[in-house]
Amino acid sequence: MTAHSDETKQLRPGLWETVNERYPGSMITKSDFVPLASLRKPLSESRLTFVSSAGVQPVGTMPFDVVHPVGDYSFRRVPSDSNPSDLEIHQIKYPTNGATKDLNVIFPVERLRELATEGVIGGLTRNFFSFIGYNMDPERLERTLAEGIAEAVVADGADVALLAPA
Amino acid sequence: MSLQYLKEAVANNDTEKLIRYVRLHLGDGNEAAGRKEIDKAWTEALKLLLDVPETDREFILKTLEERDAASLAHLFFHLHFYFVKRSGEWIHDGTL
Repeated sequence: MTAHSDETKQLRPGLWETVNERYPGSMITKSDFVPLASLRKPLSESRLTFVSSAGVQPVGTMPFDVVHPVGDYSFRRVPSDSNPSDLEIHQIKYPTNGATKDLNVIFPVERLRELATEGVIGGLTRNFFSFIGYNMDPERLERTLAEGIAEAVVADGADVALLAPA
Repeated sequence: MSLQYLKEAVANNDTEKLIRYVRLHLGDGNEAAGRKEIDKAWTEALKLLLDVPETDREFILKTLEERDAASLAHLFFHLHFYFVKRSGEWIHDGTL
């Protein structure tokens, strides 16, 4: 193990050990170096998208598969002009009580629209993107889910993506 | 557990690793809770049959006959959560 700088050190020491105890073999390490992407224009001129593992989806769409032992590798497009009442949560692995009262605490669709209206961000993509985080096949997650969302984000013309784990 | 970990357990016929995974999944990372959840689902199912109500055996047999094993396995997991939810003792943080 190499020493970490303050910027890159594990923020929750012991987390990996805990996860490995509960779900042996689930933690993966990657040696690929992926450089951080810098903004190409000011935030106030950038179109922002939102990507969340909160399991939020439009009412009436096929519920995320929260019972499957290996996970669900699909994602949903969530129109960025949705009202919270248009959306619902299908996920059993994190507390949804607060989000049920105000969806913005986990999926800030209204707050982001306000920031766009105020000009803090240049605008929003037509869709936001949502999936569930319980996935036991990291390769499939990377190959299908992550790639699928990445392509959809690019197709929606995003300049910047806000990622939020549930 | 990663899928690779589970597939190795299958190859090695290591059923203890597999059932431990099932318990962890059903207990949200807590193996002891998972055991209780399995018990809870089965007792809830049993309670529903004690008065010997009419059941749709035609549907059951047709489903078992016509559906593929993977879909039935998936249904098995759905049924677990269905009966746990029906029991009224929901330990999970979110909703189905």
